[in-house]
Amino acid sequence: MENDDKKYEKVINTLKNLKEVKAPENFEADLKRRLNSEKFSKKERKGFWQNIFVPVRLIPSLGLIAAAVVIFFVMDANSEKMDNPFLIEPRVREDLIAVTDYEQLKEEHQKALKKSESLEREKNIPEPKPDQDESKSFRDENTSGRKEQNRLDNLSTEQDLAKDKGKSEGNIALPESALAGISDSIQTNVSAEESSDIIAGERVTKNELNFRQIQLSPKEQKVVNELKTQVQSLEKVNKTQK
Amino acid sequence: MDRNLRELSDEELILEFQQNNTEDAFNILVQRYKNPLTNFVFRFLGEYESCNDVVQETMIKVYRYKDTYSSVAKFSTWIYTIAGNLAKTEYRRQRRRNIFSISNYGEDNKPYDLPDESYRPDVATDSGIKDEIIQKALMKVKETYREAVILRDIQGMSYEEIAEILGVNEGTVKSRINRGRAQLQELLKDIYNE
Repeated sequence: MENDDKKYEKVINTLKNLKEVKAPENFEADLKRRLNSEKFSKKERKGFWQNIFVPVRLIPSLGLIAAAVVIFFVMDANSEKMDNPFLIEPRVREDLIAVTDYEQLKEEHQKALKKSESLEREKNIPEPKPDQDESKSFRDENTSGRKEQNRLDNLSTEQDLAKDKGKSEGNIALPESALAGISDSIQTNVSAEESSDIIAGERVTKNELNFRQIQLSPKEQKVVNELKTQVQSLEKVNKTQK
Repeated sequence: MDRNLRELSDEELILEFQQNNTEDAFNILVQRYKNPLTNFVFRFLGEYESCNDVVQETMIKVYRYKDTYSSVAKFSTWIYTIAGNLAKTEYRRQRRRNIFSISNYGEDNKPYDLPDESYRPDVATDSGIKDEIIQKALMKVKETYREAVILRDIQGMSYEEIAEILGVNEGTVKSRINRGRAQLQELLKDIYNE
């Protein structure tokens, strides 16, 4: 150690002989001024977390989060496979029934009527016929009545179809006044007697009627039977008059 | 009271300031240490203005953080540690500023006050050119060696104190001082030859 001091003796002496640098004369006054200014403007030191959660510092991070959310949803929406609305089949409306082929309907209806007629004829054949002329005339009347009835039925079905069609497709519907005229003309052709004969001739079947089955009580059944006997007696009187 | 305080040691004064918040005790400490610290910091930085700021900042830190001082250590060691750290920070800041900025000093035509430079060794004529050369040589010595050399040969501290201030062991302090001295000798050989 002493050797080192001797070795650098000149350097040590040079440094020791350097003039001492003193603080400025107003050092203490400046220091007091600075200390007083610091006392008045004393700021509380905030913690790390308090510094982080300052609203000003949160703005950029919140903006970044919002941008990320928007980008995420935009990317997600793009990834979805959208169905072409022009290729989707339309929804079937069950409340509307469109009838396209009216002629076919008409034919089916006529076929059904013919069948029922043929069945009725078969039933009518084995019945005993005391008077040939009467039966002939009766048969002719029946047949003519049937024809008229068929026409009437067909027309009424046409009228119904036209009405239905008119409901569903307003452009094709026939005017109701015209239909009413047709039915009136048919009605006039069929006389009241003939219509009563038609009823008596058992041409109206249960299948063709839209009726409700009611179970009658014994009292009601009695009344109905009485009415039936009265009608039969009236029919017989009518026949005898003829 | 003032007389009694002046008779107290540094450690007793800081304890008085800690316990009773006696401003006079602090003022006495400032009076005792303002010149030694200014000398130490000036020799380390080579610039008087920044040296003055650093010493003032040191005093403010002593005032503000008086409670962090522990009576186990010497007060001189504590205050020199603070001053040394602040001086090193300022020196690095100055170096960065010199590297990355172009000096516009005096070009912007701003009016500024002329300081009283009669006490400044780098300006005073009687200290001569020799002091200036020595200071320039000292500034060329490596930062760590320079600090150790200043504390030992200019401030006259013991190796033990220097070791405490620098936070290294005595052997490291001695080697640093020797290396610093060797560099200075090399830099000042022209003066010695004269």
